[in-house]
Amino acid sequence: MKRSLSILPLAKRITTSAFVLFLTVSFLFVLVRIAPGDPSQKFISPKLSPKLVEKVKTSFQLDKQIHVQYLSFVKNAATGNLGVSYAFHRPVVEVIFDVLPFTILFAVSAFALQLIAGLLLAVFAFHHNQKIWDKLLSRGSMFLYAVPSFVSGLLFIYVFSVQLKIFPSSGIKTVGTLESSFFLLLVDYTKHLFLPVLVLSLTGLPVYFKYFRENFEENQKKLFTLYLRANGVSERKILLSHLIPNSLNSIIAYAGVDLGILFSGALITEVIFSLPGMGRLTINAILGHDYPLIVGCTLTAGILIIFTSLLADLIRLNIDKRLIKGLLN
Amino acid sequence: MTVPRKNISLFLSILFSLFIGCKNNSTTSSSQVVIAIPSDVERINPLFSYSINEANINELLFLSLVKHTWNRQAGELKTEPMFATSWEWNLDSSAIMLQLRDDVQWSDGVPLSINDVIFSFDVYSDPVVESYLYGSFKCFYTDKEEHIISSKTFEKLSETKLKINFKPGSTPTLFNLDFPIVPKHIFDKMPRTEIATAEESFAPVTSGPFTLEKWEKNQAVIIKENPTSFLHKDGNIKRIIFKVIPDYNARLAQLKNGEIDLAEYLKPEDVSQLKNSGSFVVTSLKGREYDYLGWNNLDPILYKKSGKIVPNKLFGSVKTRQALSMAINRNEVLSQYLRGYGAVANSPISPIFKNAVDDKLPPYSFDLAKARTLLEEEGWSDKDQNGILEKEGIEFKFTLTISSNNPRRIFAATVFKNNFRQLGIDMKIDQVELGMLIDRINNKSVDAWMASWIIPIPLDLKFSWYSNLITTPMNFPSYQNKELDALLDNLETKITGQQKNDSYKKVEAILYRDQPVTFLYWIDNVVAYNKKLKNIEVTPLGTVHHCWLWQ
Repeated sequence: MKRSLSILPLAKRITTSAFVLFLTVSFLFVLVRIAPGDPSQKFISPKLSPKLVEKVKTSFQLDKQIHVQYLSFVKNAATGNLGVSYAFHRPVVEVIFDVLPFTILFAVSAFALQLIAGLLLAVFAFHHNQKIWDKLLSRGSMFLYAVPSFVSGLLFIYVFSVQLKIFPSSGIKTVGTLESSFFLLLVDYTKHLFLPVLVLSLTGLPVYFKYFRENFEENQKKLFTLYLRANGVSERKILLSHLIPNSLNSIIAYAGVDLGILFSGALITEVIFSLPGMGRLTINAILGHDYPLIVGCTLTAGILIIFTSLLADLIRLNIDKRLIKGLLN
Repeated sequence: MTVPRKNISLFLSILFSLFIGCKNNSTTSSSQVVIAIPSDVERINPLFSYSINEANINELLFLSLVKHTWNRQAGELKTEPMFATSWEWNLDSSAIMLQLRDDVQWSDGVPLSINDVIFSFDVYSDPVVESYLYGSFKCFYTDKEEHIISSKTFEKLSETKLKINFKPGSTPTLFNLDFPIVPKHIFDKMPRTEIATAEESFAPVTSGPFTLEKWEKNQAVIIKENPTSFLHKDGNIKRIIFKVIPDYNARLAQLKNGEIDLAEYLKPEDVSQLKNSGSFVVTSLKGREYDYLGWNNLDPILYKKSGKIVPNKLFGSVKTRQALSMAINRNEVLSQYLRGYGAVANSPISPIFKNAVDDKLPPYSFDLAKARTLLEEEGWSDKDQNGILEKEGIEFKFTLTISSNNPRRIFAATVFKNNFRQLGIDMKIDQVELGMLIDRINNKSVDAWMASWIIPIPLDLKFSWYSNLITTPMNFPSYQNKELDALLDNLETKITGQQKNDSYKKVEAILYRDQPVTFLYWIDNVVAYNKKLKNIEVTPLGTVHHCWLWQ
């Protein structure tokens, strides 16, 4: 009985999310087609025959009415076929799966770094409550939050790649390397990803720091903390066993959405560091009017955001059973 | 149990030294070149060489019948042998006899033969394939769909001798034969409609001086020398890496850092820094691209409503367009933005075509007084003293549409807006996404715009200046002139080189006089490459060109 109570709202939540996703994708399907420009524009060139443009339009089915294209899309999408990318000439699913593993690795690394560093810095600041370190970290985090990633990215490239020559400035691995040992490959990947992960996490880190720091402050004033102190529980134990767990709730909710957004791509960081991620793929699809790929990327991003948000809610639920009604409805 | 701090420090310092110490030597090899490209290629199949990068890579991987180099003195193309070792035209140029090599193999070991050549013409011209050359075989015997009729066109005289017959009255050149040959034994096995998406379009069987080593999607295309190629020479470049770096600043940083050896389309403001470093050769590719201010010669509203061609109220008159060309200070953009990496353009005929261009034509100079006189002659004056010219109740106001991602044009538009203002012309600037701009230009729904043309080699003007707006969709300003049409038609007939050059000069004179658009400036492609590279020749045909000669 208890189990069915939690499964029903969960099923309801998934169904609603799927419906919202379907509506979003349908809306986007129509929107990109009625927007100015079309995929045949790149074939307008002095060296190409105008006849080719007409041919391409026919083969992309652009000569058909939108509702005919839409019905065909829905029919194919139901079987998992999102069509063939105009730019890559391969199935959209394949193109997305090419970049998805990297995107997930990149996003999870940056997410983990900003979450852990945010927590550690908040603990450090809390430990030095109202002292110079606390104030410095508080102001420094606001500064970091205000620095756009293209500025920090270029600055890091200049310092660490051009001047110090410690880290490579682009790519996920050294191009043109012959096969080498697992350890060397691992080092190579780590070296390449160090700066991008750092840049990507720098904008999120201050948010987590602030969340943790303020939640610690708030929970410290609550009666349970007073009670624990009155009972002689050590400050370390209060922090680790009571303040941190009680601060997690709202942070997990934010983290769920944040991770989903990271999964859908970090365009600026990907462009600056020449990384093959979802952000670059999506923007190139938009600029190139690659309709099937635009829809595919949106669908993937939507699924990932819904998934991470749902996962976050389930974790919160596991921590605090009182949330069941509010969260899953 | 606690770990001593000393041990942690030791562990971290070992890890750090390992991290820093693990260097890969592959990109520092002296026999390889790393070239920056802003975006990845879509396919490695010469049938679909739509972009410059794809064409550059395919030229290195696939042989053509002939190759072309640029003759700087004459300012024209020079043909040299490739798979065809020699050729002979018949007297009326209606056929050509080609002697082919017999010592070339595809990368899978199959010999490259005369059958591959015939197949290539067939497949390139096949409408279902949608190759980049589709619709370009006008000199050949083709069917209604412009598919080459092989039975009429080719005569196999022997296993290494091929005769190609051209359509009577056409004017074929060797440039019509310069495209990469594709392997028949690979593509003949599959339906033509599937070639575009076939695995072989991503892992090709090749025949050129280089073979594909690896294609790391969105990262790099790596090609290595083909030691069996007759173009192979000891001491030349052994490996080329086309590295994908989308961000300009990252490309520049990597160039300075030595991670890449060659980069194109550099900003003029970065040149002095590169030159001062002493590590690079900085040069430029001139005369392939020009910016222009497009004037819609017809009334866009009436054209959209009824398809009627009525002269545009603002830009329909020659004198007005001449005045507009005199009202703008092109030299300001040239000196302040392009910093000398460009030259004023008089017409669409580039100065690189030395014999076809009239170098005595004086550029329209920045002369507001003269421009005002011309506009007055056309009836434009500021009667109500509001600072804007008017004629028959219409004020001289218009919107210039430009692409939002081009800083050069944004800079130039601001300069021109101020210039026009001094003359009493109110110009607004509308920055739109490139796709939207192309759409509007195509639909002829804009009054004025700023864009550029990359000129084709060999010189071709008909595709953008012929009066028939249906057959010439790239005549964006909708300029119509029968005298010009006659000259363009004449250029397609069998005339001597001298007659051709004379005709081009006449074409240029008409376009210079009528100013259907205001030709702004030729923009240099600024190229920098590492001094260790030798034998690179930057010509109008490109920078990454005939790389098998690089040392």
